[in-house]
This record gives sequence, C-alpha cells and structure tokens, in this order.
Amino acid sequence: MPRFLCLQRSFPATGGGERPSPAQMQAMYAKFNEWREKFQQNLVDLGGRLGAGRMALPDPPPDGPLVEAKELVGGYMVISATSLDEALQIARECPGLVRPGSGVEVIEVHAPG
Amino acid sequence: MHDLGEHFFRRAYGRLVALLSRRQGVHQLEAVEDAVQFALAAAVETWPTSSVPDNPEAWLFRVAHNHLVDEARRSTRHERLAVRYGAEAAMADAPPAFLEGEVRDDLLRMLFACCDDALPVESQLVLALKVLSGFDVREIAERLFMSEANVYKRLGRARQRLREVEFELADLTPAELASRLPAVQTILYVLFTEGYLSSHADGAIRRELCDDAIRLTHELAEHPVSAAPETFALLALMHLHAARLPARQDGSGGLLLLEEQDRSRWNQREIETGLVWLARSAEGATFSRYHAEAGIAAEHCLAPTLAETRWERIVACYSLLDQLAPSALHSLNRAVALAEWQGPLAGLALLDGLSPPSWLIGSYLWDAVLADLHLRAGHGALAEQHRAAAIASAPSAAVRAALERRLRSR
Repeated sequence: MPRFLCLQRSFPATGGGERPSPAQMQAMYAKFNEWREKFQQNLVDLGGRLGAGRMALPDPPPDGPLVEAKELVGGYMVISATSLDEALQIARECPGLVRPGSGVEVIEVHAPG
Repeated sequence: MHDLGEHFFRRAYGRLVALLSRRQGVHQLEAVEDAVQFALAAAVETWPTSSVPDNPEAWLFRVAHNHLVDEARRSTRHERLAVRYGAEAAMADAPPAFLEGEVRDDLLRMLFACCDDALPVESQLVLALKVLSGFDVREIAERLFMSEANVYKRLGRARQRLREVEFELADLTPAELASRLPAVQTILYVLFTEGYLSSHADGAIRRELCDDAIRLTHELAEHPVSAAPETFALLALMHLHAARLPARQDGSGGLLLLEEQDRSRWNQREIETGLVWLARSAEGATFSRYHAEAGIAAEHCLAPTLAETRWERIVACYSLLDQLAPSALHSLNRAVALAEWQGPLAGLALLDGLSPPSWLIGSYLWDAVLADLHLRAGHGALAEQHRAAAIASAPSAAVRAALERRLRSR
C-alpha cells in the first residue's frame, strides 16, 4: 500500500486559544486512542513532535535564507492508505490535528517496491 | 493500551498541584497550576504515540517540576523570588518516585488551605473545585450555576488571600488542622449537596461532584488528623444518599420522587458502606448534624417500602438536626415526616407555629409542602393556591414536572 507522510502545519491561531481543562484532555486522550485503534492497520509510524535540529551543509554553504523544517512543521507521522484521498481522511480524523491554528499536509512517498 | 481510569487527568491535576504547592509554597499556586497543566498537555501529546509510562504520575510530576524550574529561570521576577526563598535549591531534588501517603497528606493539606474562614464558603468551594478537582473556570461556572466572571473573581480573591497570609502547607500544625476541620467538612458537604441536589440536566455531571466529594471525604476519614466521628458521619451520609442516586431519575432525565422510586435500583453496596461508616461514627460521644442527617438517610435506605418507613425515627432525627443546626428547612422536613407518621394535620400544625424566613417562603419547597398537606387534609382551595405558587417558582423543568405529578395525583 502506498505510504504517506503527514506533516502537521501550524498557523497563527485565530481565537479559540483557550487551554483545555483536565477533563477535556481526558476526552482528547480517549479520542486519540479510539482513532489509533480504528486505523491501526494504516499507522506505519506515529512519529511525533519535532524538536531541536541542525543542518549539515556543503562548503561553501548555499546562498539565500535557509528555512528550517521546524519553522514550518510541528510534527510528522507516516501512514499507509490506498489513495491520497483515503490518507487525507485518516489524517483529518486524527483528533487535535485539524483545528484552529493547526492543519495537516499529506504527501505521498514514492518508494521502490 | 494503558487504561488510565475515568478521571485520571482531573485527579492527577489535584494531586500534583497539592504536591508541588507544598514544595514551592502556596504563594506560587498559579505557577504550579500552569506547570501541571503543561505536564498534562505534554502527556496528551506524547503518551498516545509512544506509550504510557509505568508510573504516569511520576512522569507528570517530573515534567511539571522541570517546567517550573525553567519558568523560574526565565522570569526575572521569579529569579528574585527564587533567591529569596531558595526555591531552586528546593526544586533541584525532585524525588524519582513519591510516596502515596505523602501525596495524600499534601492533598488534604491543600483542602485545609482552601477552607480559610476569611473566604466566603462559595469561594472556598470554587477554589477547591479548581485546585483539587481540576475543573476549569467554565466547568466550575456550569456546575455551580455561577457566571464565569464570578468564578474568576472568586478565584482571584482566594489566590490573593493565600499569597497574603503566606500560609504554608507544611507549616500547618495538627492543632491548626483540627481547628479547620469543621470548615473542611462543610465544604465537602456543600460539594456533595451541589451534586446531589443540583437541577443540572446532565446526570453525569451531578454524579461527578458527588464522587469527588466522597473521594475527598474518604481521604479525610482515613487521615489521623481528621478521622473524627463527624467525618465518619459525613461519609456515611454521602454513601447513603449516593446509593439512591441511580433511582432518582427516570429514563429521560426527569426527577423521581421518593414514593415513585424503584427501590431495587438503590445501590446495596453503597448502602452497606454507608452503614459501616455510620456505625464507626457512633464510636465516641459526639452527635453532629451529620449524624442526624446520616440517620435520616439510613432510615430511608433501610425501609423496604415507603409505607414501612419508620417515620417516628425520622421525625426524631429531624428534631435533633433542627437543634444542632437550626433551620426552617429542617422544620419543614420534619413536618413532612410528621405528616407521614401522624397525618397531614399534625404536619400543618407544626408549620403553623413556624415563622419561615423569606428565602424559604419564596422557594417552591415551602408551597409544595403546604399544597401537599392541604390536599391530603381535604383543604381544596388552599391546596390549589399553594400548588400554583410552587409550580410557578420551580427552579427547573424536572422539578416542575415532579410537582405537577405529585400535587395532582393524591
């Protein structure tokens, strides 16, 4: 089955920046586990949030501003699906991924085999 | 998948806020709450994708603790505080694991800290719901039928009070704890009552408040400083009421009156637990209002049918209750029990001698009882007059529906 890289993209939050209460977090946690259960066949690598990083560059370094991936991407995961549409649907259903201030970019990974 | 339990996040919140407040000082309460919130958010984000740590609370504690240290370093204001209080030195030695007994001790101390008699009871309750039960402002407002602005205001004042008195959890002596015990019992009683008597449409919300009150009262009953007969009676009272919770509602969320309840739906295990605590509360010479109320609840629980209720005992308990905690509401309840025992005229005679306060006259209860007693005594016009007044002042649709049924059918 084709694989897809899902990148969590953060946008400037437009309102709704209220922090969830512990009870709401409990509900989010439960929802995430349900989602994980439902799509366990499709979840190749649940990935995670991106932390600190450094770039290895050729010498001399290339011209121009180099934007670090972390500036654009909050986290990643890898899923398998029969089509981009299906992959997009799986990612969309993931709790907390698509919400005010956050979205997901789903990209097919071409790999031999 | 690790099963965390139904209210894990709220409970962990309360326990960690208490634990960290004891170490950091209650004046740091807001910073502590932020740190615990941060740790819980981190857990929601990382646990589902990796795995739940073996000791989830210790994990949360470390994250919250590190967050506090980071924040203290970041903020110059806190840096000065840190120097003054040696906070960073104290924070450096976070325990790898903590002892259950210690956390429970901290939780209780936090509860005692909330029960500062310089604060109105409503504010004590708001503070306890925030720091011990882990509800946020919106959830507290929803549960206590307060505006969010009011909850904010009360929380702000309560926190300010904690900062001003420079009260430290660790410094509370057994004598000070003992002197605050009645206030702590009151707040737990109020918390339970909020859940039990709430006109909230959502049964789960009511149950949650009752369960929190029971859980904290168990902590109280099992700790040497607060294991007193009054505490045991309070716990008995809660269990004996909670036993009947499932039968108080019909399938569609409507309120069922005692006479309408299916007694087989009363929770026998809760009743047994309540009776065990009631027996323990009788050790010693104390007889508190909680004893009287638990006694009344026990009589209801023990009666196989409404007709077999030992009303004379309930009347006696209400008399004692009225002496211990004088209230027109208790007299009203006594009149109801007396009417069941000796007939409606006896109940009406008792109410005749009463000069009820305006809040009671204005509430539906007063009119509902009078309507019922007059109806049963055959005073049609008076009954109708009070019936109309009761229905007009019913606080919720569920109560109104129950009144309409009850005041027509007999």
